[in-house]
Amino acid sequence: MMKLLKQKEWSPYLAGILLGMVYVVSIVVSYIITVASGAFENIGGLLAQAVYPNLANNTYFKFVMPPGITTAVMILLGIIIGAFVSAKLSGDFKLQIVSDPQWKRVFGTSIWKRWVVLFIGGIILEFGAGIAGGCTSGLAIGGGLFLAPSAFIFIAAMFMSGIPTAMLMYWRKY
Amino acid sequence: MFEMIFSLVMGLGFGFALQKAGLGKYNKIVNVFRFTDLAVLKFMMTTLAVAMVGVFALNTLGWIALPAIPATYLVGNLVGGLIFGVGMAGAGF
Repeated sequence: MMKLLKQKEWSPYLAGILLGMVYVVSIVVSYIITVASGAFENIGGLLAQAVYPNLANNTYFKFVMPPGITTAVMILLGIIIGAFVSAKLSGDFKLQIVSDPQWKRVFGTSIWKRWVVLFIGGIILEFGAGIAGGCTSGLAIGGGLFLAPSAFIFIAAMFMSGIPTAMLMYWRKY
Repeated sequence: MFEMIFSLVMGLGFGFALQKAGLGKYNKIVNVFRFTDLAVLKFMMTTLAVAMVGVFALNTLGWIALPAIPATYLVGNLVGGLIFGVGMAGAGF
């Protein structure tokens, strides 16, 4: 058991089974769907309220995504701790500025380039999740497991734009 | 209060599973869009299948009721998904 926990990387099927069980348990116990992107909006709403309350004074923050320390924020916190524990156990944990060998090989070692792309990508991603009503975890999996049509529309759309984006970025190396 | 702590624990499991699947890494996310490493899809679809079977089995046994599913809003889901995909493939997380 310990050996398994210390393994650097599981088969995606095994990790998928674990996550599937997490979803089942969370639904059985309290009908909470594990979401990741919602937390940023809850925290963002809090920040908006603190800095410029008018920004938070709209329908979206009033009814769709109320600001505050919600269960989504707790899930996000748990995700960070869980990933940290997993990485620590396998000795995979390290602090990096340019994260990935593949990125370095294709786009060079420039730090700001990676950070700018990461930052802008994050904004685009969160914006899209806000419009669609969820991200990969909350909508695609959390909705898909109830066979919600919205989840499958979302997954299809995600790949419809993701593939050309990757093609463009990797141009000749695709 | 229980919900808060319970959410934290579920988040722990979520983060752990994702890290173990290697999804914290840039190359895993981007390569699924280049069809060179389908770990993300394998992981996502396994999760979906396991959760689906679990939830619907428990529902059939009458132990749990199904919660409200996310509303279908074609334009929103589609446009949101399209924007999301650009961010996901670009940033790689």
